[in-house]
Amino acid sequence: MLISVLVTLNNMLVGLALHICFDGGYHQMSECEMVIIKPEVMKSYIWLQTADGSIQQVEEEVAMFCPMICREILQTGMGSSKNYAISLPQRVNPSILSLILDYCRFHQVPGRSNKERKSFDEKFIRIDTKRLCELTSAADSLQLKPLVDLTSRALARMIEGKSPEEIRETFHLPDDLTEEEKLEPLRNTADDPRIRLLNRLYARKRKELREREKLKNVEVEEERVDERSVDDLLSFINGGVGDSKGGKTAKHKKKNRRRKDQAKGTALNNVSKISKKEPEYLSSECNNGEAGNIIESSSSKTSKVQDVAVDSLGPKVEFDDGDIDDELDPAMKEELDREVEDFARRLNSDWPERMQEILSLGQERRHVPISMNGNGSSRRYTRLEQRCTPMDAH
Amino acid sequence: MAYSFPEEVLEHVFSFIHSDKDRNAVSLVCKSWYEIERWCRRRIFVGNCYAVSPRIVIRRFPEVRSVSLKGKPHFADFNLVPEGWGGYVYPWISAMAEAYPWLEELRLKRMVVTDEALELISRSFKNFSALVLSSCEGFTTDGLAAIAANCRNLKELDLRECDVDDRSGNWLSHFPESCTSLVSLSFSCLEGEVSFSALERLVSRCTNLRALRLNHSVPLDKLPNLLRRAPQLVDLGMGAYTAELRPELYSRLGNAFAGCKGLKSLSGFWDVVPSYLPATYSVCAGITFLNLSYATIQSPDLIKLIRQCRNLQRLWVLDYIEDSGLNALAASCKDLEELRVFPSDPFGQEANVSLTEQGLVSVSEGCPKLQSVLYFCRQMTNAALFTIARNRPNMTRFRLCIIEPRTPDYLTLQPLDAGFGAIVEHCKDLRRLSLSGLLTDLVFEYIGTHAQKLEMLSVAFAGESDLGLHHVLSGCKSLRKLEIRDCPFGDKALFVNASKLETMRSLWMSSCSVSFGACKLLGQKMPRLNVEVIDERAPPDLRPESEPIERLYVYRTIAGPRLDMPGFVWTMGDEKSATEFS
Repeated sequence: MLISVLVTLNNMLVGLALHICFDGGYHQMSECEMVIIKPEVMKSYIWLQTADGSIQQVEEEVAMFCPMICREILQTGMGSSKNYAISLPQRVNPSILSLILDYCRFHQVPGRSNKERKSFDEKFIRIDTKRLCELTSAADSLQLKPLVDLTSRALARMIEGKSPEEIRETFHLPDDLTEEEKLEPLRNTADDPRIRLLNRLYARKRKELREREKLKNVEVEEERVDERSVDDLLSFINGGVGDSKGGKTAKHKKKNRRRKDQAKGTALNNVSKISKKEPEYLSSECNNGEAGNIIESSSSKTSKVQDVAVDSLGPKVEFDDGDIDDELDPAMKEELDREVEDFARRLNSDWPERMQEILSLGQERRHVPISMNGNGSSRRYTRLEQRCTPMDAH
Repeated sequence: MAYSFPEEVLEHVFSFIHSDKDRNAVSLVCKSWYEIERWCRRRIFVGNCYAVSPRIVIRRFPEVRSVSLKGKPHFADFNLVPEGWGGYVYPWISAMAEAYPWLEELRLKRMVVTDEALELISRSFKNFSALVLSSCEGFTTDGLAAIAANCRNLKELDLRECDVDDRSGNWLSHFPESCTSLVSLSFSCLEGEVSFSALERLVSRCTNLRALRLNHSVPLDKLPNLLRRAPQLVDLGMGAYTAELRPELYSRLGNAFAGCKGLKSLSGFWDVVPSYLPATYSVCAGITFLNLSYATIQSPDLIKLIRQCRNLQRLWVLDYIEDSGLNALAASCKDLEELRVFPSDPFGQEANVSLTEQGLVSVSEGCPKLQSVLYFCRQMTNAALFTIARNRPNMTRFRLCIIEPRTPDYLTLQPLDAGFGAIVEHCKDLRRLSLSGLLTDLVFEYIGTHAQKLEMLSVAFAGESDLGLHHVLSGCKSLRKLEIRDCPFGDKALFVNASKLETMRSLWMSSCSVSFGACKLLGQKMPRLNVEVIDERAPPDLRPESEPIERLYVYRTIAGPRLDMPGFVWTMGDEKSATEFS
């Protein structure tokens, strides 16, 4: 089959030179095929149909720049008329198609310099993220490799330097990895433990406020400052550690439930659950009264074991944020926010002073044996580091 | 609504993302990205070989081509980690031999590499092309011979500061005559002789050779021939740069250097005879890295050489350069980015050279691009540190080593807290810092407050109490590695900041005041940390719990306690260890 010449009222295509013949012969235009000839316009057009059904025509040389279209034309002969428009892949919608065709139209002109092309490309990809993604997909389906590379690189640059959260925002992606899955990758990024603490606290507070709402008669006790020394806290924890069930340290006194604040409860929950293997729990909860970040929890009063209502905050609360529903009324939410903010402020500002206080309680200075180059190795030091003092080298 | 892509497209986008940090971020975005990313990850960097197991890495990244592993902690360089502690690479090699038949590159640092491991590498990976061993030990030249003989497509064989049992010079002859692929060959740390004829033939036929670092057994009179065979060299590490003064050798050398128009890096210079130095002048204008850390030449000769290297970016030199040489450096080398000054006589009681804080101040004033400093000296002042800090807010690595511990500001006799405080306050991009001199807890408060980008901190003989350690652990957001020796830091700061330790790669504390009881507690409470007590004296449980241990090494891990510990290392909190202590 030939690429036949398209004759329309507006554009007369007489392209003898553009004929490509499969049967080896030339097709001379017969008079009946000519309707109007505009001498100055000699073009061939290809018809393309996008997935939404709309059809448009494109200059042949522009369309042929796309390998996929080129192949369609050559192998199936489609595209010669409106009825035989080439169906483009689904990923190519009309607006993206027009972008792609702009690209093709520019680049298929042979005379351009590399500088010109580069400059065009740089401007070309300055579109919003959504369209850039659509463009990449579409270019890939049309096998237009230079454009795929151009757009892919642009997307890569958008991804570089961003945190996972920022990337998710940019591309509207779901946050569907579990905590465990997030841990498993080899993470090099720092994770602020205070932020985790705040999140946990926030979640717990919301839950507690919900509970209180249910009970209807609530007296919120202010968080009290814990004045015990670190050593006291440690021995307290040690008392709870050996106990695998932990039930002994936590007494369930429902009537006292209202009087203690939730931080206390979790502190002891944590103590009682020490033997549980939940790594998530231990690392983030350890700020509440056990080995890690004892001082952070010191703002909660944990002295009265029997005040703990373990069952008000079941074992799952600390781990399962998905549990918490957001149906607090705005006033409560505001109060909650304020309390968390207050706690955070205190955390941040008080630490050095509090630390000083706590460390000065019952502290003994230990004498450290001073040793300089503490090794008696007689190996010949040829390595540079070994020739230097143990203070530093590479 | 997610902006979706077909997998191949996303994979193609990821192929333009190279840094580990970015790839890790990509993998944490969502489930589908995690999956796609793991299948197309080709390079993997494991900063601590015990943080993860080979099995886990292989399971997650099935198509890796390049692996980098680090073993012992940094303080191993100063013999603070006893022999036999660990860092064995064999388990990794054996796992990868099965899982990654297409592995191409292996980069190891501070690991124990045996000849068996090298032999296994040479047999298992058909496309193996690059082996880089830095500060490794445990192998002999027989292992190198296996690599040379069996790796058909070897491009890179680099031994840097390794401890190698040199059995013979024949390993080099094991490169088959058909081997023409070498791009980089570096064996400067080997002590024995090599066969010169084999070396010459190898260099001749490897026309892509860009880097060649010889050991000091290669005499100077062999150098011109080698250089003539490899005019395309970019990086040259010379052997011994000494010979009797012979004009014909000098002129051959000069001509040979002149032929290497692309040379950018010069090192080696063992036993330098100053009169031969001018032979290198023809290439000096192009030199960007000059490593004179083995060159025992005096300041005047050094100055002459440095003045030729106007485009110098990195200089490693002995303190023979003295203040006068550093002044000349500051005047001549305006592109200087990195300066390392090593001590010529670290164990001497008195200064043998006239190198003071002035030299460093000079360079900080004269070299606007200076961002990385390692400086050994014997005296410092707060004022000098202030000046350096103000001159160079672009500093990213600052390691100051005043040789005598606890040396105060020699003018005011004050601690150097304020000086280092100025460094961390002005140099906002500081990533690495080493402290020295007389320091109280105050310096740590400054560091905790200001050093928000600090990733690695080295501390020795500093501080007064746990508060110091607490400031650092609670303040430095980006901290990844902390190494401490001989400081009065104990249990409390560790407990309070235990969860911080999970966000870091590792913490090393030796000759501090950390008690055995504290280590046990920490190990029990933090299952995602390996808390290693390293004590060569005796099992720590035979002593009171409150007694300080010798060394503590804490690192985060998802592989659990390791199974290859020697008798003097215990992992705390491990069930097995627990039963050993009744």
